[in-house]
Amino acid sequence: MDTLASLLHTSPAIAWMGVKIVIVFSAVMLLASVWTWVERRGAAMIQDRIGPNRAALFGKIRILGLAQLLADGIKFFFKEDLEPTDANKGLFWLAPFLAFVPAMMGFAIIPFGRDFTSGGHVYHLSVLDPGNGMGMLYPLAIGGLAVYGVLVAAWSSNNKWSILGGMRSSATMVSYEIGMSLAVVSLFMTTGGYDPSEIIAAQGHLPWHWNVVPQFLGFIVFFTCMFAETNRLPFDFAEGESEIVAGFNTEYGSMKFSLLALAEYAHLMTASALVATLYFGGWQVPFVAHPSVGLSILSFLIKMLFFAWVFVWIRWTLPRFRYDQLMHLGWKAMLPLSMLNLIVHAWLMSHGR
Amino acid sequence: MFLAFALITLLGALGMLLQKNIIVAGLFMVAAFFGIAGLFVLLANPVAAALQLIVYSGAIMVLVLFVIMMLSSHEEEAAQASHPIQRWLSLLLALALAAGGVKLVMASKGVQMLASRGAAVPPAVTLQGVGAVLFEGHLLGFEVAGLMLLAAMVGAVALTKRNL
Repeated sequence: MDTLASLLHTSPAIAWMGVKIVIVFSAVMLLASVWTWVERRGAAMIQDRIGPNRAALFGKIRILGLAQLLADGIKFFFKEDLEPTDANKGLFWLAPFLAFVPAMMGFAIIPFGRDFTSGGHVYHLSVLDPGNGMGMLYPLAIGGLAVYGVLVAAWSSNNKWSILGGMRSSATMVSYEIGMSLAVVSLFMTTGGYDPSEIIAAQGHLPWHWNVVPQFLGFIVFFTCMFAETNRLPFDFAEGESEIVAGFNTEYGSMKFSLLALAEYAHLMTASALVATLYFGGWQVPFVAHPSVGLSILSFLIKMLFFAWVFVWIRWTLPRFRYDQLMHLGWKAMLPLSMLNLIVHAWLMSHGR
Repeated sequence: MFLAFALITLLGALGMLLQKNIIVAGLFMVAAFFGIAGLFVLLANPVAAALQLIVYSGAIMVLVLFVIMMLSSHEEEAAQASHPIQRWLSLLLALALAAGGVKLVMASKGVQMLASRGAAVPPAVTLQGVGAVLFEGHLLGFEVAGLMLLAAMVGAVALTKRNL
């Protein structure tokens, strides 16, 4: 790291920051785009089909249809960029960015491996170092901003289906955010800190000490709310293709649509990383008290990708909710459960357990 | 950094005032909130920044935009006939407010301390610190605010749902 810093004429801290940003950005981008393929293959597997397997590099190398990603990318780049006549042009252009940037930003707080010391410096494996004071409030704040991508895309398209989709999804996100925040608050309470690295350190390396065991209710609420936050089936009311064409992205094509889709998958990655961090010990390796850096990163990746797969799995297993059922679930089931979780843990803590 | 966030805030506020389209104006307001959150971070108060984003940008503005979208159509509102006296009066009031604000800031303890001791970055405010202050120093205010919010919520439900 020192040599890289001296080559770039900066301090090691800044060079390390740059390296971290590149690693996290490219990893999330790569995983998000690979997950579009995983989604289609997974759907095919669950529905007993074959799925995309014809795209091939140089007409020969198929690798299970992974070349489909490249084909999709090329297609999106060369597709004509249409925009509706009555659309609000500026916002129509802005919306994919408003969706994409928060989706990528959310990952910045998550520690994806243990700290290590090299040459007298301590290197933290998360873009925002621990002790920044934002802690777990940061993903909640960024998650709140993510609504605007959908909302702006929906409104600027000037299309009644789009607006319906956008309004549904904004209402969903706002109502599920409360239950989710309360679930996180009870984690703050039992941990005594709100920095993700503190939450991970407090969980230790034994799987039955991870937060999912004492706070199973909180985990269920948080995970359910994550589906609403990422706008995925069974809660994908922004799209709802059987009811409102394709919802907020009806009018989008070419690279703009691609950005919106990538934003959804980047969001999915951040959501699964959050679940792994908060409830499954983050980078902690089961039964290994002091894992090596590589092992801790591997452990984190496995947990995160498992939850990303659960997102795909549930999407193709459960049917879509009806809108009133969704609101019913959010306000009358998730919020009280989250409250109950908070109160029970407060009671347990006040009785010294 | 300060200039960037200050510019975002100011341009957002200006855009909100000058924009005729009500939804675009709302989005400018979100930009202004974002800028204010950035300023909070620079003032070593990341908790306030996060709460600013969660509460104002993430919840209140979304609801405001939601209601606007639900109620109004896409047309921009026609300008009303302007009253010059209103314009001058509001300019005068804004100037008085700005002068008062600047005077208050310049007379405050923080600025005097800055002049005598120079700028040092204070330790960042933590959530634990905010909680301790709320429950130790301002317990009564906190409880009253909670009660008021509850009353407002009950009132809203009672007003809208007449036949529960």
